[in-house]
Amino acid sequence: MSIYRPTPTDSFPTDTSVLQGETEETLSKHIPSPEYPAQPLNRNAHLQWLVRNMVQGFPTRYTSQDASQPWLMFWTLQSLSTLQAGLDSGNKQKAIDTIMSWQYPEGGFGGGPGQAPHLLATYASVCALANVGRPGPGGGWDEIDREKMYKFFLSVKQADGSFTVMRHGEVDVRGIYCLLVVATLLDLLTPELVAGTPAFLASCQTYEGGFSSSSQPYFSSGTLLSSPRPPLGEAHGGYTFCALASWVLIKSFQPPPYGVDIDVKRLLRWLVMMQGSEIELGGFKGRTNKLVDGCYSWWVGGAFALLEMLGMPAARTEAPTAHSDTDDEWDDVDGQSYPLRPSVVQYSTVPDTLFNRKALQEYVLYAGQHPTGGLRDKPPKTSDAYHTLGCLSGLASAQHHVTPSTRRREEITLLWESNTECAFTEQRKSAFIDALAWVEEEGASKYVGSSADRLNAMHPVFNLTMTHTDTMMGHFYQQTVPPRLMRRNV
Amino acid sequence: MDTPPALYAEDPAWADVVPIPQYEGVSPLAPIFYTPEYKDATDYFRGILKTGETSERVLELTERIIRMNPAHYTAWQYRYKTLLALGSNLEDELRLMDMYCIKYLKTYQVWHHRRLLVTLLLPAPSTSPSPSPSSNPNPTHLQTSNPTLALLQLQEELDFISRCLSADTKNYHTWSYRQWLLSYFNHPRLWRGEVKWVERLITEDVRNNSAWHHRFFVVFASGHGEKGEDAVREEIAYAKQKISLAPNNASVWNYLRGVLDHTHMPYSTLKSFVEPYTVEQEGRSEDVVDLEDPLPSAGAELPCALAIEFLADVHEQEGGVEAVRKAVELWKSLANEYDTIRKKYWEYRIREALATQQ
Repeated sequence: MSIYRPTPTDSFPTDTSVLQGETEETLSKHIPSPEYPAQPLNRNAHLQWLVRNMVQGFPTRYTSQDASQPWLMFWTLQSLSTLQAGLDSGNKQKAIDTIMSWQYPEGGFGGGPGQAPHLLATYASVCALANVGRPGPGGGWDEIDREKMYKFFLSVKQADGSFTVMRHGEVDVRGIYCLLVVATLLDLLTPELVAGTPAFLASCQTYEGGFSSSSQPYFSSGTLLSSPRPPLGEAHGGYTFCALASWVLIKSFQPPPYGVDIDVKRLLRWLVMMQGSEIELGGFKGRTNKLVDGCYSWWVGGAFALLEMLGMPAARTEAPTAHSDTDDEWDDVDGQSYPLRPSVVQYSTVPDTLFNRKALQEYVLYAGQHPTGGLRDKPPKTSDAYHTLGCLSGLASAQHHVTPSTRRREEITLLWESNTECAFTEQRKSAFIDALAWVEEEGASKYVGSSADRLNAMHPVFNLTMTHTDTMMGHFYQQTVPPRLMRRNV
Repeated sequence: MDTPPALYAEDPAWADVVPIPQYEGVSPLAPIFYTPEYKDATDYFRGILKTGETSERVLELTERIIRMNPAHYTAWQYRYKTLLALGSNLEDELRLMDMYCIKYLKTYQVWHHRRLLVTLLLPAPSTSPSPSPSSNPNPTHLQTSNPTLALLQLQEELDFISRCLSADTKNYHTWSYRQWLLSYFNHPRLWRGEVKWVERLITEDVRNNSAWHHRFFVVFASGHGEKGEDAVREEIAYAKQKISLAPNNASVWNYLRGVLDHTHMPYSTLKSFVEPYTVEQEGRSEDVVDLEDPLPSAGAELPCALAIEFLADVHEQEGGVEAVRKAVELWKSLANEYDTIRKKYWEYRIREALATQQ
């Protein structure tokens, strides 16, 4: 029996509550006890697992992801970067050559050589190149055909401001997120490209507060009606992240007001409600009354940082009253203080998250790690490439506080050079500055185990490291990005 | 598959096609270990993509690839293109998809392919406001011209979706496909049965959030179900009754909040209903049957955190020092006792409410 209270079923069992109960029973066995002490991050096992997939290849069951080869590549490379590891130059070159073989002759990237261009594959390919590519011949970056890519983007644009993921493909906010990330990284954002997109995104917010996959437009003699515009599908963690991150990217390019808005208060409520209770180890769910799953550590856990770009202040634990509470609580976990990071002791004076970041770390560490390497949805499932990155990025977002910084913004602005002649230079500049203004706040990191579990902080919009984001955007915008201050050693 | 699949490489009927290996001149990082059958079929598919052939054998080839990997979106895309080029019978294709939708319930492509077919097979909606025709090639010769027949076909399609949902009650693709079908064709007769239909699913599992979302979609979001104040009252009564059955159910509380927000009704209208759910069972006086405000069932585990949250919102909306003080007390009880995982959020609500007051 667990020490934590099971989700109440009101003596009224249904399929949902039965499955929930079974899951809680499995999960609660992973709550550390004297018998099963708390696990640290098994860094070596994960690194070995990732490298094995990369070098030896993926087993036959991954055939189902043959049209998602860029994703397998991105999940693996990005997981390595999160773990503060990288490839040697020989394997980097192999990765670049593999990725470039997915570029479609008419623009965009496909899921493998010869496969049709697809927005999701394009995102994964470009973000994989952010990890391993470089400027110059053979480096991938300058071999991306940006002009044709832009044409591909425009060719899938719809009358309601949305995009289909490919020719004859479906519309959904994943595709829009993927397109906007790539367009932002590669300096392809234009007012033409994103016209009508904010209103489409807003129409996907459901009564619950989260976002659905898409919405149904109605037209009257060719004019798009603002209502009805019903969301298709219920509020969902993956779509919510994509819609919110898209909203943030568009905000920097097309400043509000759009004539529409999203309900941030209701969104925040939905996001916090997705966190499972103590008996579920505080993992996140993707929908109301569904099960926790490691991948939502990023889709939902990672979404909180984005709210700060919308002006929602970070939670601040008020000093000094809550000071001792907070630290005691954390010390209980491993019974040790943090001598190497004196700043952690001053926790009460730094921003805090609106979700339970300690619990999320526990979920990833205690339930998310597969004993033989890689991370997973939940026990007793096996690990896979997708859940490995979702769990690791989520863990990183629970460890660090990443926030838009006024000072960083000023530094970037100071070095900005007006180097193009276009009608939207100001928007272009603000997109660049907004994207690079995120910083990992000094002294605000916190670890359930020890700082040996530290992961790299992720860019909250792109899910790339800060360094990769800086370098890639600096290159494509031809701007000098000020170096980031070295983090104090831990 | 029953018989060992012949490789295209050994099939004389395919001797004229030049297979193209996946990677040429690249030694890929992170490759997938394919079966010989999959590798063979996709090598020939790449050969076909190069020549641009559209033929019956291409339909067979794409079907074989899809059976091995239903997420192969290029195979789907090319299959669609081929069907159109050959003027194939799309009814037959839809019947083939009946089987695939059930078998590959969780892939985007099966559902999207179905949507493309249905868009072509059935007449585009003529009622105003009409959905965007932008991505619809509208080859009218393929479509049913008889409106009654079209309605029957749509009803058949809804029945098919119902069967799929009984196998997987929360499948996201299936639900959004149903919602698309309803709103795209926008047939008044189709909307009519939806509330009754989804009610059955909610009765089967009152915690099925997909079903609750569908109800909201039909009654409010779609713009076709709302019938004035009576309908709103009915929905609120329905939600209350489901709360009394099993109060610790976030789906129904979210629905109730959704109805109130959508119709701009103050939360305080439900204050007397909510209060009994915020205290322990023992503390209640003997049950008096109140049809307006049903009391928690005997088995309910109280106090219910969702009810406490709701009551705190009632107080916050009321405003004023005393009301906010009450809200703060409730939030504290959530933070420290009834919903401790969200402690930071409840503390944030307290700070916000107090800040607004100053």
